[in-house]
Amino acid sequence: MMQMSPAPWTRLRRALVAIGTLAVLYGIAAQIGQKWLPHRIWMDVHYIDDVELLPTYRSLGEELVFLLQSGILPSSIAVSTGRILIGFFLGACAGILLGMATGRSRRIEDLAEPWVTFLRFTPALALLPLYVVWFGYGEPSKVLLIATNVAVVTLLGAHQGVRGVPRVYLDAAASLGADDRLAFKKIVLPAALPQIFASLRIALGLAWVTIVVAELIDAKMPSLGYLLALAGAYPRVPTMVIGIATVGLLVLAFDLLALFLHARATRWMKRTA
Amino acid sequence: MKNVTVKRSLLGLASLATLVAAYTVVSNAERFVDPARFPPVLRDVLRPEVIPPTQSIAEALIALVTGPRSDTASDEHAHAGHHHAHSDHVGVLLQQGVTLQQSLLITVGRVLFGLVVGAPLGILLGFFMGWNRRADDYVHPLYVLLRSVPPLALITYIMLWLGHSEAHRLIPIVYAVAATLVIPAYHGVRDVAGTYVVAARALGARGRLLLTKVLLPAASPDLLAGLRYALAIAWMTAVGSEMLMAENGMGNLIVGGGMWASRLQTRSDPAVVMVGIMGIATAGFVMDAGAKVLTARLTAWIR
Repeated sequence: MMQMSPAPWTRLRRALVAIGTLAVLYGIAAQIGQKWLPHRIWMDVHYIDDVELLPTYRSLGEELVFLLQSGILPSSIAVSTGRILIGFFLGACAGILLGMATGRSRRIEDLAEPWVTFLRFTPALALLPLYVVWFGYGEPSKVLLIATNVAVVTLLGAHQGVRGVPRVYLDAAASLGADDRLAFKKIVLPAALPQIFASLRIALGLAWVTIVVAELIDAKMPSLGYLLALAGAYPRVPTMVIGIATVGLLVLAFDLLALFLHARATRWMKRTA
Repeated sequence: MKNVTVKRSLLGLASLATLVAAYTVVSNAERFVDPARFPPVLRDVLRPEVIPPTQSIAEALIALVTGPRSDTASDEHAHAGHHHAHSDHVGVLLQQGVTLQQSLLITVGRVLFGLVVGAPLGILLGFFMGWNRRADDYVHPLYVLLRSVPPLALITYIMLWLGHSEAHRLIPIVYAVAATLVIPAYHGVRDVAGTYVVAARALGARGRLLLTKVLLPAASPDLLAGLRYALAIAWMTAVGSEMLMAENGMGNLIVGGGMWASRLQTRSDPAVVMVGIMGIATAGFVMDAGAKVLTARLTAWIR
C-alpha cells in the first residue's frame, strides 16, 4: 500500500507479462482440451458434433484468416460500429441537451422527472420488441434503441453536472456582470463536463451491450451480433471466440478513446489521481 | 418547504396525466375518426397493433395478473359491448400459465442471485487489486480485458459448456455485477482507505479486523453507489438473457415465450411489452429505493 508507484515501463512490462502468461496458459489448456474435452455435446434435443470447446490457436488462426479474407469480420465491425456511432451521437445530443435543460430549470425538471425515473429503470433491451413494431426490423429500430439507452444515461449525467455547479461560482459571475449566456459558456459547461464525460463513457459501454442483442432481430449477415448468434447456432466455437474477442477489443478501444477525450476536455482541472 | 414539495410533485403528476390522456386520445383516434381520412403516414401508425389503446394495455395487464383461470370468467360478463379477443401474444402466455407476478418473481430472483454471488466476488477482487500495487499491475490489465466483453455475448458459449440450463442465465448476471463492483472496491481501498490503514496498522490491526473494521467501512460509500449501478446492469442483463434464452421471466414474457433468437421474425404485442416494461421499471425502482435506504443506513456514521 505504501510502496512507491513504480515507473510506467515497469507497469507496462507487468501488464505484458500477465497477458502473455494468460495467452500461454490458454494455449496449453486448448492443447490439453483437444484431447480430453468432449467433441460431441448433447444439446437438449440433439447431439452436436465436432465441437472444440477451447479452440486451439491453430483453428482460431484459420478461422480468423477466413473471416478476414471473406470480408465478413471487417464488414461486420464496420456495420456494428456505424450503428453504435449514429445511435450514440443522436442519443448523446438529445440526452445532454435535455439534461442541461432539466439541470437549469426546476420547472422542466418537475415536468420531466416521472418520465426520466420510469425510463431509468427500464432496461433498454426491454424496449426492443416495441421498437421493432414501431420502427420496423431495419436500421431505425437498432439505432434508436441505442440512442434511447445513451440518452437516458447522458441525461442524468448532464443534469447532475449542471446541478453540481457551486452556487458561489454563479453568484460571483453574476456580480462581475456576466449574463446568463456567458455564465453558461464559461462556468456551467466546463464545470459539468467531467460528469457528462463520465456518463458518456458508461453509455458507450451500455451501447455495446445493447447492440449484441439488437442485432439479432434482423437476420442480416454483416453485423457482430448476428455473427455471434450464427456462430452459436451452428455452433462454431472458433467463430464465437473471435466474435467475443472482437466485441471485447472494440469496447476496450472505445473506452480508451472516451477516457482520452475526457482527459483532454478536463485538462484544466487539477487532478489527484 | 413542504408546500413546495407538494407543488413540485403535483407538476410531475400533471405531466404524467397529460401524456397518458394524450396517448389515450391518439391511440383511440381510429374510433372517433374514420381511418380512411387519415393522411397515409398516420394510417400506418395509428393502428391498435402498433399503438395499443390504453384500455388494451389495461386489459393485458389484468389478464396477465389474474392468470388463465379467471380470464374466461371476466370475458363473459365484462365485455358485452365489443368482443375484444386477446392477442396471440397474451393467449400464448396464458396458455403457458404465465402471470406477471410469477415472471417478475423469477427475474427478481435471478437479479438477486447475481447480486448475492457477484458482489462479494467483485468486491474481493477490487480489494485485492487496491491493496497490493504489484498485484494490481499484473491483474488490472486482465480485468480490463475481461470487463470489456459484454456479458450477453457470452451466453451461447456458456451454453456449450454447461448445456441448456439455469447456468447460462445466471452466469452473465453474476459476471456483470462482479465486473461492475470491482472498480468502487478498488478505489475505496486504494484512494480512500490509505491513511486509515496506516493508522489502524500502527495500532496493531490486521487481517480480518482490518478488513471488517477499516477497509469495508471506508469503501462503503463507493461500494453502495456501485451497488445501485450494478443493480441496473443486473436487470438489463437478466432481461436480455431471458429474451434470448429462457422459458420464463420478464424477458420471456415480453417476447412471448420461447427463444427469440431462434425465431427471429416474431412480432410481439406492444400492449404486453408495455405491461412488461412497467413491471420491470416498477421492480427496478423498488429495488433501487431499497438500495438507497441501505446506503443511508450504512453510511449514517459519515455525517
